[in-house]
Amino acid sequence: MLAAMENTTLQPAAAPHVLVVDDDREIRDLLARFFERHGLRVTAVRDAREARRALPNAHFQLVVLDLMMPGETGLDFARWLRGPASGHDGIGIVMLTAMGEETDRIIGLELGADDYVPKPFNPRELLARIRAVLRRAGDQGGRPHEAATQLWRFNGWTLDPTRRRLLNPDKVEVPLTGGEYDLLVALVERANRVLTRDMLLDLLRGRQAGPFDRAIDVAVSRLRRKLEDDGRHAQLIKTVRGGGYVLAAEVERL
Amino acid sequence: MIGWSSLVPRSLGGRTALVLLIGLTIVQVSGLAIHALDRIGLQRIAQSRDVGVMLMSVYRAVVLTPPPQREAVVRELDLANGMRASLHTGPPVGDLLPTPQPLRRQIVVSTGLVVVPQGQRPREILMFGDVNVGRLVVGMRLPDGEWLQLAVPLEAPRIWHSRTFLVAFVLMTLAAAVLTIWAVRRLTAPVRTLALAAERLGRDVNAPPLPEDGPLEVSTAAAAFNTMAARIRRFVQDRTFMLTAIGHDLRTPITRLKLRAEFVDDEELRRKIVNDLDELEAMVSATLAFGRDVTTDEPVTSVDLTELVRTVLDEACDMRPDLAEHIGYDGPDHMPIRARSVALKRAVTNLVMNALAYGNSAFAIIRPAVDGMVTLLVEDNGPGLPLSEVDRLFQPFQRIEMSRNKETGGMGLGLPIARNIFRAHGGDVTLGNRPNGGARATVTLPV
Repeated sequence: MLAAMENTTLQPAAAPHVLVVDDDREIRDLLARFFERHGLRVTAVRDAREARRALPNAHFQLVVLDLMMPGETGLDFARWLRGPASGHDGIGIVMLTAMGEETDRIIGLELGADDYVPKPFNPRELLARIRAVLRRAGDQGGRPHEAATQLWRFNGWTLDPTRRRLLNPDKVEVPLTGGEYDLLVALVERANRVLTRDMLLDLLRGRQAGPFDRAIDVAVSRLRRKLEDDGRHAQLIKTVRGGGYVLAAEVERL
Repeated sequence: MIGWSSLVPRSLGGRTALVLLIGLTIVQVSGLAIHALDRIGLQRIAQSRDVGVMLMSVYRAVVLTPPPQREAVVRELDLANGMRASLHTGPPVGDLLPTPQPLRRQIVVSTGLVVVPQGQRPREILMFGDVNVGRLVVGMRLPDGEWLQLAVPLEAPRIWHSRTFLVAFVLMTLAAAVLTIWAVRRLTAPVRTLALAAERLGRDVNAPPLPEDGPLEVSTAAAAFNTMAARIRRFVQDRTFMLTAIGHDLRTPITRLKLRAEFVDDEELRRKIVNDLDELEAMVSATLAFGRDVTTDEPVTSVDLTELVRTVLDEACDMRPDLAEHIGYDGPDHMPIRARSVALKRAVTNLVMNALAYGNSAFAIIRPAVDGMVTLLVEDNGPGLPLSEVDRLFQPFQRIEMSRNKETGGMGLGLPIARNIFRAHGGDVTLGNRPNGGARATVTLPV
């Protein structure tokens, strides 16, 4: 038991440290091995109780949290983690949810999880999501969950990150693909800042298959159409010479 | 015979009202007839009495006058309107038929009401004409042999006396009819409520229960209905729990295998294992999607159907870039409807994926709303569907025979899931072929 808990291995100090909380021993061990192979430091524990004990022992940047656990559920633990009592309210949280359980996902995101991955997940996608959260944390000075439970509004459009929905000025939902949604979030979070194609590629990796370069341009043109932004004289998502995009709008946080 | 059945109302309320109204009409008509007959009889008696008394009054005036002055007296008489009197040596002649016995007897009896001196009553009374011809010609033989002849107009008896009677009668009938229809509607309302509740239960198994009040039969039916709904609900819940449990139990081993695959060094082997696992996962998720109650998970919101369809088509292009030329949309730029967007997107995706799998193409067409229903067509240029199999395709785990290979295979759950979702939205989906080849799925959705 102790062996499983103290799974921390030595990695260069710069490597991000991830706490994996999952009640399935096999998954826990496999995840630890997989993450370590990809340059993360990992501590794996089996439930919320052990996680609480492990937290003070190291400087964790992120928790990979299974929602369905015996005893204290992942949701309760996430709520505690985000509360002021934990002392770790700036930590990143990626939740492993049951497949397609919409309610779990929404509650999880409302509680301030940074992302969720439905089980059974593709390990590489999980890794990409974890990297994205860590990168965002780096961008925003260690407060990656700041974006939780809020709405963005720009030019009359509303983006609801909890339900992953885009509403037009008439409050009609305009469906987005996963890639389009991630792209729009990336643009909205950094409104009026130029994002190079490389940065966008980084943000979208793990979501899209296929040639990424083209995927970005295709996703941008589809987003423009959905946002009724005329492709040739785009006013909202502007093309920047030299290969990048910028969302030119005042973004209001609600 | 053909037109007859279409005249009979189809609803219980309509039929009950019809029966009651027919009954009411019969009662009213017979009541009116009885009243009219009685009234006609009464009028006849009054009329014959008047005629008899008038005849006898004239006769009395004439008989009491000495014969030489009679001509003058008859001429001087102030007779009631329309009556004419004359003296003759013989009985009256003319083309009129003799008066029918009952009327004649009544008139003759009435003549006895006028007092005449002893021995001066008419020796003989002859009577011609009737109500139908509108006049009577009466001959009365005086004791000395002379004939007093009188022509009397006879008015036909009227069914009602005043026009207000008719108005009142019509008003009364109308009021009774309105009252009948109201009462019937009120009494049959619970049946309609029951039908609506059954309809609602079909769409949403968690629909609120019926109120168990009202008349005894109605409350019993409502209670029985609620019990049935509760049983169905429990059955659906049990099934959902079971499927969710299976899904959850399968998730863990699949997750483990996916992780283990990452440690397979042979890249080709790893890719194949991951593909198998993806397929397995797709099967589990399709089974779960079929088992899950689509209505419970997600709230209904306003969604742009056009953008939803375009998003699905975009994703299809991403998945099959080689077929991008054969994927397209035609229709209005916006079509806001009330829907559960995640579920609806899954349903549309299933149709588009079928079109791609069997027809190597997918064209979506939205037709503007007619009678509150939007039509969405998903068409392909493939070989089309064998029409004999169309019904079977909506059964879970059924597929077109030629598709039982890995290339286009699936679980045979795409269409059942799609249909469940469209129906849960109050719409439906049917399958058929385009006139010039290729399959066509026709979806209707309420705006």
